[in-house]
Amino acid sequence: MRRLIKTNYALLLGCMLFACKIEHLNPPNEPMKNIAGTWGIINATRNGTNLTSSFDFSHFRIVFTDSTYTIDSLVPFIVTHNGKWAFDNPQYPFDLIFTQTDSASLETPFQFPVANGVRNIILTFSPGCPSNSYVYTLQQVN
Amino acid sequence: MKKIKLPTGRSAWNWIWKITGTVIVLVIVACSISINNVSQPSTIAGGSTLTSTITAGINQVNATQTSALVVGILVPTQWNAANNTTMSYTSSATSGTQVMNLIPTGTVAPTGGGVSWQTDMLNTIGTAGNLINEYEWIAFESPTPYTVNNGDNITVTITVNIKVSQTNMLFNMAYVVCESSDGLNSTAYSLSPSTYYGTFFPPSLRVTGPGTLLDFIDPQLSVITPGFATDNDIITLPFNSTAVQNPLTNASQVFLCATGYTTTGDSIKVCQQTSANQLQSLGGGNFQTSIWPRGFFGLSAAQSLDSIEYVFTDATGATIVGFNGTTTPFSYTFGCQ
Repeated sequence: MRRLIKTNYALLLGCMLFACKIEHLNPPNEPMKNIAGTWGIINATRNGTNLTSSFDFSHFRIVFTDSTYTIDSLVPFIVTHNGKWAFDNPQYPFDLIFTQTDSASLETPFQFPVANGVRNIILTFSPGCPSNSYVYTLQQVN
Repeated sequence: MKKIKLPTGRSAWNWIWKITGTVIVLVIVACSISINNVSQPSTIAGGSTLTSTITAGINQVNATQTSALVVGILVPTQWNAANNTTMSYTSSATSGTQVMNLIPTGTVAPTGGGVSWQTDMLNTIGTAGNLINEYEWIAFESPTPYTVNNGDNITVTITVNIKVSQTNMLFNMAYVVCESSDGLNSTAYSLSPSTYYGTFFPPSLRVTGPGTLLDFIDPQLSVITPGFATDNDIITLPFNSTAVQNPLTNASQVFLCATGYTTTGDSIKVCQQTSANQLQSLGGGNFQTSIWPRGFFGLSAAQSLDSIEYVFTDATGATIVGFNGTTTPFSYTFGCQ
């Protein structure tokens, strides 16, 4: 009888051990950020003061392709000429890097939030004095 | 054992009213915060360190609460005060000097409806009469929460050191002291939100430095913002038509007429009474326009501006208003801190 109980315990322990298996969790893959398209400025601030109603930003356009951009630089911006762009990290970008033709790269903090169901690009930079900080919010235009 | 005799009838009602009244008074007397004084100089040299001392009281605490001490100061944005300020405090409820920490921009304030501490201070405490929109609130908090107990009356002394910019200016500072739980909008115990914070508005501060006085306080016809800019910034040119008696005091349309002076000594004049040069009416005789000087004056890549001079005109261009209501142009020199 005692031997039967021991055998049962051994079987039970074996079942418990073999019931465990390593579960491989595959985290969802963060998609690459796609900014290809034509973007315009919908909001702009300087040192926290909203400039959108007192300055005409409506003619500004920047067109991103897979690796290049073209710009109508009718407003102060990070760059003034066409060139190439890249993210510091394509999956988890914190900075957008502009490289104008024959120029050094310029890096700007990059945010890519969704507001009211629409994807925005938010760029922060100082085109003039370093003490003057501009925040442009861009949205895709047709 | 002595037998306790409970009151009955009319006597009982008297006791009930007395006890209830006492309880109501205890509930109504809530924690109130006030600033008793702020000691700061009236004049300081540009580039030096401004030291101010805030004496505040947290009084008539009616409940035990654990919160951090929060202090806000209204300063000119040119000071970059968030990066140039240190703050510490001593209090009757804590031991030794406690160094306070900057509350990062965007940190949501309690009871503020989702806005940041800085925005909440701007919305609630205001701008202290400064007329040029180049100011900001900065906020600091104690490193750890502190506990106040029922009946406590706590005195707090806060020392603030701000390295100010070189800019020659006249500015109204403002101070607020509150705590991290109630913030600036609490109506706990059905009390006014102002019970939960204290404010102080010291006399105007004069910072002496080179160049034209940047006067935040006295109404002026036109002061360009930001105070420091290059020709690749967007600058805002306001016109307060009622600040000084002038030929455009009652004008409904105001236009900008400006001359840019390049670093090579050339001048470029833009002076057409067109919609592109018309100032936007803000009401109350206030107008403004924002320009990007490089675009406004049509500069080539090789050109850059040293300064501009400007006047305001009516729709015909015949009526001209410049500095102090005369025809002498306002002037602005480009440069950074």
